[in-house]
Amino acid sequence: MAAESQPLAVPAEKSNRQKQVILAVSRLWAWVFLVGLILFFTITVFSTSGGDVNFLTVRNSQNILMAITPVLLMGLGQTFVIIAGGIDLSVGWVMGLASVISALVIADFTNNRGMAETLAIPLGFGVGILSAAIPGFINGLIIAKLSIPPFIVTLGMSFIARGISLLLSGGNVVIGQPPGVRAFGNESLFYLISGEGGGLFFLNRPNVTGEVLQRLDRILPWPVVVAAIVTAVLLFVLHKTQFGRHTYAIGGNREAALRAGVPVDRHVIMLYTLSGITVGFAGVLHTARFNGGSSIAGDPLMLSSIAAVIIGGVSMFGGHGSVAGTVIGALIIAVLTTGLVMLNVLPFYQFVVVGIVVILAVLIDQARDLIIGRIESH
Amino acid sequence: MSKRFVTLLILSLVLLSIVPFAVAQDAPAKPKIGFLPGVVDPFYQVMEIGVNEAVADFGLEVVTQYPQTWGPSVQTPILEAMIARGDLDYLITAPTDKEQMIAPLQAALDAGVKIITVDTFLGDGDYVNGPVTFPISYIGSDNIEGGRIAARALAEVLGGKGKVYIQNTNVGVSTTEQRGQGFKEGIAEFPDMELVGEDYNLDDANTSVEQTAAKLQAVPDLAGIFGVNVFSAYGAGNAVKAAGLEGKVQVIAFDATADAIQNLRDGVVTLVIAQKPHDMGYLAVAFAMADWRGVTSIPKHVTTGYAVINAENVDDPEVAKFIYQVPGQ
Repeated sequence: MAAESQPLAVPAEKSNRQKQVILAVSRLWAWVFLVGLILFFTITVFSTSGGDVNFLTVRNSQNILMAITPVLLMGLGQTFVIIAGGIDLSVGWVMGLASVISALVIADFTNNRGMAETLAIPLGFGVGILSAAIPGFINGLIIAKLSIPPFIVTLGMSFIARGISLLLSGGNVVIGQPPGVRAFGNESLFYLISGEGGGLFFLNRPNVTGEVLQRLDRILPWPVVVAAIVTAVLLFVLHKTQFGRHTYAIGGNREAALRAGVPVDRHVIMLYTLSGITVGFAGVLHTARFNGGSSIAGDPLMLSSIAAVIIGGVSMFGGHGSVAGTVIGALIIAVLTTGLVMLNVLPFYQFVVVGIVVILAVLIDQARDLIIGRIESH
Repeated sequence: MSKRFVTLLILSLVLLSIVPFAVAQDAPAKPKIGFLPGVVDPFYQVMEIGVNEAVADFGLEVVTQYPQTWGPSVQTPILEAMIARGDLDYLITAPTDKEQMIAPLQAALDAGVKIITVDTFLGDGDYVNGPVTFPISYIGSDNIEGGRIAARALAEVLGGKGKVYIQNTNVGVSTTEQRGQGFKEGIAEFPDMELVGEDYNLDDANTSVEQTAAKLQAVPDLAGIFGVNVFSAYGAGNAVKAAGLEGKVQVIAFDATADAIQNLRDGVVTLVIAQKPHDMGYLAVAFAMADWRGVTSIPKHVTTGYAVINAENVDDPEVAKFIYQVPGQ
């Protein structure tokens, strides 16, 4: 995790130390909560199944990474948007739009125009991501130039994206994908066969069947690799570049940022475009994973993605938050789902727990600001 | 002395290496079943009753999980967590998409869990000659036939003549599209019956009321309406009631949920076509058990049929058993 802002010189040594403790707690509690959850599920899943079922397995770790991929990608752009004091409610249906358009392009270029899949797939994915960046750009333009609240603009865009993706797909799943699409969504960087005759394989899936196939685990599936690269890039951008500093500045105090010479309008447009791009990645990866384009791909995940951002410590009032926090938030939600399913508890409890954690996250956020404010006013 | 010690050591080592095999061979005498429906609703909850009855009859264990909303994005993570348990032998599931769920369910099979699909299917549902053949069986309703049954039942009520109208949900949903298609085929069997339109209400009862009211205005002598699911029939029936045309315009509803039966009792709908989710659940477990025992002639496709419920037979136990009743609701 990248070190955040340097503490400023504060006269009283003691209050400075208190402040740092509070800051550390507010930043670390989600990590502690995640580790606690994993421990809880490791013990309960093992004991309630009489030792038949294990939570901490290679396969399950990869399942969880696959499960967080779309939620994380939708949440990453959102992290930037919310830090800058905005919100993007269009992510769900824009993801569906990207999924549908990428699948349409790939199917058309391979089936009707005879393009090789090695070219058609990157082309389709590129067009898909672009098709998500455009509504993001329009969101940003309207929000920045016409001063309409982001809540309204992105809600409207959500309906527009929904309509367009349903029209383009005729309400159906877009099929007719070449085999490379499914391979990209389901194959992985490494393969591990545990036990007898096993080993670790790189890139090429060992050709095994039957009982040995059952012991084959995919390590780092391609969608996870893509999500990890996007996360690393955005971690750098938010915490190490001027773009990141401007994002915090606009969320902290828009007027001050303007006076300090931050090109606020242009930056806001770029933020919503960025949100569109990360959502676009989620959309094309859905196409790959499920071997087809679906307009409803993202809608059920949208609220989870916003919850992940909030659990990760991004303040809804802007100015606070980190990329690593959003990763933790997404992990907490995925661990809850997987753990409850393995415990054979109805997954609906997940919503209750996620709801509590979201409210808790905001409470901790508020308490931090209150306590730090008190220390500083002494 | 030392020779004896060595013999003992070898003996115990041999024993130690045999014992785990002996235990492993007679431990899992019965399969463990997973049940993963498409979404939480009364139809699948009744199916779960069938699953649980069969599981009890065969002395098996079952692990059941419900997705909260329909779609592969939600169903797949739950599927993968169930497979990650590592102790399931069979999975009875209703795939939420016939194309998109192929890869996740193939991965489940690769992990050693055999698949039976219920209600919905993979590929084209033909597991013998179709594009997808790996599931053991597809057990579900024939929705085209269901539409035909609705048409014939409506024709009987109307004496084989009159104008009829379809309230459908969404374009592209295989089951409801097929019901609409079957209904049109059924109506075509009666030369004096005429289809005057089909509207899509996006599975929203209010939209269905509006569309039906407009149709009642436009076609004053409309005689019958087919609502392809609960909301469609509910909306259509309420529009008929609001226009004061009860008894003059007949409404047919698909799926015998408690709501639909209440509408029947209230006179909002004339007939309810019930599917047989209980049969689907029970049969799926029976097929899993048969496969486990080495039975090789399991049918790749079973259609479970329908029951037609009207105001006269709704209290007859032989018919009432097809109402989707979930204990505690």
